[in-house]
Amino acid sequence: MGTVPATLRRFENMTVVPNVCLDVDTLPTVIATRRLTKEFWHWRRRLLALDGVDLEVHRGEVFGLLGANGAGKTTLVKILLGLARPTIGEVLVRGSSPRRADARRRIGYLPEEHRFPGYLTGDASLRLFGRLAGAPEKVLDTRIPELLDRVGLGERGRDRVGRYSKGMTQRLGLACALLDEPDLLFLDEPTDGVDPVGRRQIRDILLATREQGTTVFINSHLLSEVERTCDRVAILHQGRVVREGTVRDLTTPTQRFRLRLAEGRAVPAEHLADDGLRVATNDGCLEVEVADLETLNRLVDRLRSDRLLIAEVTPVRTALEDVFIEVVEGEEHGPGSFENRPRATGHGPGGGR
Amino acid sequence: MKTWALIVDTWREALARYTLMGFLAVSSLFLLILTFALNLDIVDGALAAGTLFGKSFDLPGKGPAIDTVVVTGQSVFAGMLYVLGVFLAVFATGSQVPNLQHRGTVDLYVTRPIGRTHLLLGRFLGAATLVSANLLFLCGGVFVIISLKTHIWNPRFLAASGLILAVFLSYLGFMYLVGVLTSSTPLSIMLPYALYLLSVPLAAHNRLAAAMDSRLAACVVHTLYWVFPKTAEIGRDLTGYVLGKGTLAVVPFATTMVFGAVCLAGAVVAFNRKNF
Repeated sequence: MGTVPATLRRFENMTVVPNVCLDVDTLPTVIATRRLTKEFWHWRRRLLALDGVDLEVHRGEVFGLLGANGAGKTTLVKILLGLARPTIGEVLVRGSSPRRADARRRIGYLPEEHRFPGYLTGDASLRLFGRLAGAPEKVLDTRIPELLDRVGLGERGRDRVGRYSKGMTQRLGLACALLDEPDLLFLDEPTDGVDPVGRRQIRDILLATREQGTTVFINSHLLSEVERTCDRVAILHQGRVVREGTVRDLTTPTQRFRLRLAEGRAVPAEHLADDGLRVATNDGCLEVEVADLETLNRLVDRLRSDRLLIAEVTPVRTALEDVFIEVVEGEEHGPGSFENRPRATGHGPGGGR
Repeated sequence: MKTWALIVDTWREALARYTLMGFLAVSSLFLLILTFALNLDIVDGALAAGTLFGKSFDLPGKGPAIDTVVVTGQSVFAGMLYVLGVFLAVFATGSQVPNLQHRGTVDLYVTRPIGRTHLLLGRFLGAATLVSANLLFLCGGVFVIISLKTHIWNPRFLAASGLILAVFLSYLGFMYLVGVLTSSTPLSIMLPYALYLLSVPLAAHNRLAAAMDSRLAACVVHTLYWVFPKTAEIGRDLTGYVLGKGTLAVVPFATTMVFGAVCLAGAVVAFNRKNF
C-alpha cells in the first residue's frame, strides 16, 4: 500500500486510506469535496460548471442540494458518482474515489431523466442492474418483487418498460436505486413527473430508508419537497455553494406570528390594525408582525380581555423557497455578483447535463 | 455473474430489435431449401443429375466429380458469407455502444459497482457470442446438410466460418472505438463499411503506390494498407482455402487482428476517460 497523498490528508475528520474502501461505520463524513471545480470547453469558450465547491455530508442525514437550472447540481452529482471527473479538486465518497468500481457498492442512484432499456420488462431491468451490482440470484428473486410492490409497480413488473408512463418509470428508477440495499442514496429530481400521491409515497419510502441509517443526497428544485424531507441543504448558485445549513437554521423564525381563535371565530383584524400592528389574514388565521415579544403578549392580553379563546399562537418561519430566492437574487445583484463570470448555462459537453 | 448479465442483455437487445430473429429466419429458410428443395443424384462419384424445387438439371455425359462440386459450392458460399455476413453483423451490432451511451441509460450502467472496462468488454463478448451462434447455425447447418447428402466432408468450410468471425471481431473493435468516440450509430456502421470497401483497392497497394506522383502519397498508401484490415486479401485466401488450393497468409490476418485489438483497447481507454 502506498503513502497517503498530501491532497487527501487535507480532509478533516476523516480516516483516509488510499485505494481501500473503508467501513462506513468508521466514517462520520460520507461525502467530502474540497475545492471541486469543473470546467467545460465549448468552441474555445470556457464554461465553469462548478467553482471550488467544498461540501460535507454526514452519515445518516438527508442532504438536499438546491439550485436553479444550470447551477451545476447534476454536474456535482455526476462527479460524486464517478460519472465525470473534476477539473480541479478532490472528492471522496465513503473514503474512496468514486471512480473506483468497488467504491460504488451499496450506492443507489436515481438519475434525472433516466432511461431504462425499453426492451426489458420492469422485472428484467431490476434483475439486470441487480446482477451488475453483484447481487446473488436468490436475493434478487425475493428482493425484486418486494421492491416493485413497495414502489407500487407490483402488478406491472412483467410489462415492458417502453410502455410505462413517466411516473411509473420514475418509480422503477427508485426501485433500481434501492436494489443494492444502499447505505448512500443519490436522487436527482426524485419526484419529477410523479403525481401528488406518488410523491407522498416516494417521500415515505425515503424517510423509511433514512430510518434504516441510509444517507440520502437529494438534488431538486422542488423546494417544498426538500423542506419536508431534508435535514440539511446547500444552495448552489453558478457553481458555488452560497448557503449551507440545516433546514431549521435557514428557515429562521421571523417577527411574524400566526394567531388562530377557537371555534373558528374571526380575529378583529381591523381593530388590531388600528393599534398600529401589521396584520394579514391567511387561511382563516391572522398573521401579525410585532416588534418584540412584549407587543405580542399585550395583543394576547387584549384578545383574552375580550373573552376570545386563543387556539394557536405560532411563530411564522421563512419558507425555504423565500430563502432560496433571497440568496440567489442577492448573489446576482449583490457585491459578490457573478454576472460577468463565464457560465455553463446547461449541461456540459460529453453527455453531461 | 456480471459478465453473464451483460451477455444476456446483449442477446435480449438483439431479440427485441428482431435482428436475431431476422437472421435466424433467413438462415433457417436457406437451410430448409438446401434440405428439401435440392436433390443431387450421384453416380460413381460424379454428379449425374439434380433437382431444385422439383426442376431437374440433367448434366450431359458424365458430370463433374461430386467432391469438386461440393467444395466449389462451399467456397462460393463461404465467399458470399464473408462479404454479406460481415456486412449484416456490422449492421446488427452497430447501435450497441451508442445505445449504451444514451443519456439516462449510461448513468444506470456506469454507476453500478462494475468497472467500465468490464462493462464494455462484457458487451463486446455478448456481440461476439451472438454473431458466433448465428454463423455456427448457418455454416454448421450448410456443412451438415451438404455432407450428409453427398458424403463429402470438407472441414475447411467450418474453419472458414471461424475466420469470418475473427474478421468480424476485428471490425467490432473498430465499431466500438467509433461508437465510444462519437455515440453515433450511423457512423458506427458507415465507417466499418468504408474500411471494408477501402481494403479492395488497398490490396493492390504496390501498384497503387507505383502510380503515385509523389513519394509521400505512395507512403500514405502503404501506411493505410498496413494499418487497416486486409479484408479483400483475407477473402481471396478464404475461398482458396475452402477449395483446398492454398493456405491462409499469416501477415494479412495477423495485422487485421492487431488492428481490431488496438481499436478495442482504444475504445476501452476512451470509455474509461469519458465524462458522462
